[in-house]
Amino acid sequence: MTSSEEENELLMRYLDGRLDPNDQARVAELLRDDAEARAFLRTVAEQAVVVADVQRIGQHKPQSAKIVAPEFRPWKWAVAAVAAFVLLVAFVIATTPPRHVAKVSTIIGPCQYIGADGKVQDELKAGTELKAGDTIRTRSSRAWVELSLDDGSVITVAGRSRLRLLNVQTRRGFQLAYGSLWATVVQRAGSQPISIQTPTATVEATTAQFDLEAHSLMSIVRVNDGSANVVRLADGQAADVIADYQAVVSLSRRQEFAVVSQPEPVNVWNCSLLAGRGAVFGKILPATAKQKSRLGAKPMLIGKKATIYAANFSVQCSRSAPVMIESGSRVRIRGTTRPGNPVYFGITTQRIKGGFFGKYICKIDAGALGQASEPWQIEMDLGHFGPVDGMEHLPDLPIGMELTDIWVFSKEERAELEIHRVEFLPKEIGQ
Amino acid sequence: MNQRDRVSAAAWLVVRDTHAAEDIFQNVALKAMTKEVRFENEGALLSWAFITARREGIDWLRRRKNEPAFLDEAILEQLEQEWVAERFGQDAGRSAALRDCIGELPAKSCDLLKRRYFDGYACEDVAQQLGIKLDAIYKRLSRLHHALKKCIETKLAQPAG
Repeated sequence: MTSSEEENELLMRYLDGRLDPNDQARVAELLRDDAEARAFLRTVAEQAVVVADVQRIGQHKPQSAKIVAPEFRPWKWAVAAVAAFVLLVAFVIATTPPRHVAKVSTIIGPCQYIGADGKVQDELKAGTELKAGDTIRTRSSRAWVELSLDDGSVITVAGRSRLRLLNVQTRRGFQLAYGSLWATVVQRAGSQPISIQTPTATVEATTAQFDLEAHSLMSIVRVNDGSANVVRLADGQAADVIADYQAVVSLSRRQEFAVVSQPEPVNVWNCSLLAGRGAVFGKILPATAKQKSRLGAKPMLIGKKATIYAANFSVQCSRSAPVMIESGSRVRIRGTTRPGNPVYFGITTQRIKGGFFGKYICKIDAGALGQASEPWQIEMDLGHFGPVDGMEHLPDLPIGMELTDIWVFSKEERAELEIHRVEFLPKEIGQ
Repeated sequence: MNQRDRVSAAAWLVVRDTHAAEDIFQNVALKAMTKEVRFENEGALLSWAFITARREGIDWLRRRKNEPAFLDEAILEQLEQEWVAERFGQDAGRSAALRDCIGELPAKSCDLLKRRYFDGYACEDVAQQLGIKLDAIYKRLSRLHHALKKCIETKLAQPAG
């Protein structure tokens, strides 16, 4: 046997998936270094697909028909009529698009349902079925809702978000007006792709796991599995975003529409320039001599006669790399409040390259916030946080997860909560 | 070799399933038609098609919870580049020549290729079905592919008409 024949047989074994690691390495080396081996592999691949093509064509060649004289048999006509009716019914069933519905499978925190008919409900229960035209709002930093679709796909919205089911032809349409969404889209026979519209983009997927953050001027899409087609609404530019890549879709054409690989996770993040980097909810306050960056808590109506005063800081919006939560990670926040009011701090987490994970909260009493009207700085390790009510099934600490956002709120307007700096820090050296 | 066969072949190298490779080619063609981006030339379109086919192939494997094939992406890229470069060579009629050559194969050889590539049986299964040793299957396949390659070259070398 010549060396070339032996190598060709080795490639046959490789294509059959029957090589041990040593031979796999040999094939890799052979293909890297030997143009003839690569040419042979290409030849085999071409021949394989053409063989299949020739077979396919052969199987679809018309067969010669045997012509017989028609003979009238009433029972045959009856059977044929029934069969035709059954076929017609089957055709109608098969071609009628499935109803686009989503079932609320989990609900935590204040949410609102606005029906397609305009009916508003402040209480929403698990099991509620949403149909095209219905809207769901998660109304607080600690709120989240998980929706299950008929084919097993799952969509989660969290924080301050608004999602509406749309009637889009050949798609299961959604509109994310603002907020955060995590989608795991699976493909099952007959299921339609999912299409999500934001103020700046349309995201479509057949099989994918991705997360999406939508604001009025910008959307961020990160694909962790499969692929999603993203269209910028401002100019119609489109791109396929595959696993481990992300796209920032701005309304402004001056911002380039580009698909880039997701950066490697880091373990530190800060949002010191609050107005420009990552503050996605809050009121920008004028600078003072002592403090240049000030973000005031904004009122957030979370239910009937219930308002909180909140500020929210998103890691993705700050254009940071993904931030990984490690054992010993700390949250440090600087701000001011009027005395006598506790402040609540929270974090939202997701799985690294995966879906929504959960929310954790920590309450700091007024006494721990220092002197009246003096700026305070609170540093908390993750041990201070616990899962929000209703998520007690979560582990005590979200170690190994990714930080999505940090939120701060007070239940009292008179607290006059304002935030000056937000930091996420790694474990202290020597800890 | 026409571009359809090449793109399908590139997808097949990832998924090792001729029917999936055909589906992937069709998806790529659909994307190319609906894409709002224009390609500077045929080469750019072909490069895009190979990359898209490769990604779709990897996605296809992931959806089936299969690990992507061990052949690393750098080698796949090199194979694709060679396919793109080959386009500019004297390869007109190769696809038709290959189909002719397959049509001229003895029935036994055709049956072996069909079992392996159309029915999608692993070589071990084919060996059991035909009652011959696995090594002999590899040898026969390798020689068949080589013979088809030679047959194409002979046909292309003949003057037209």
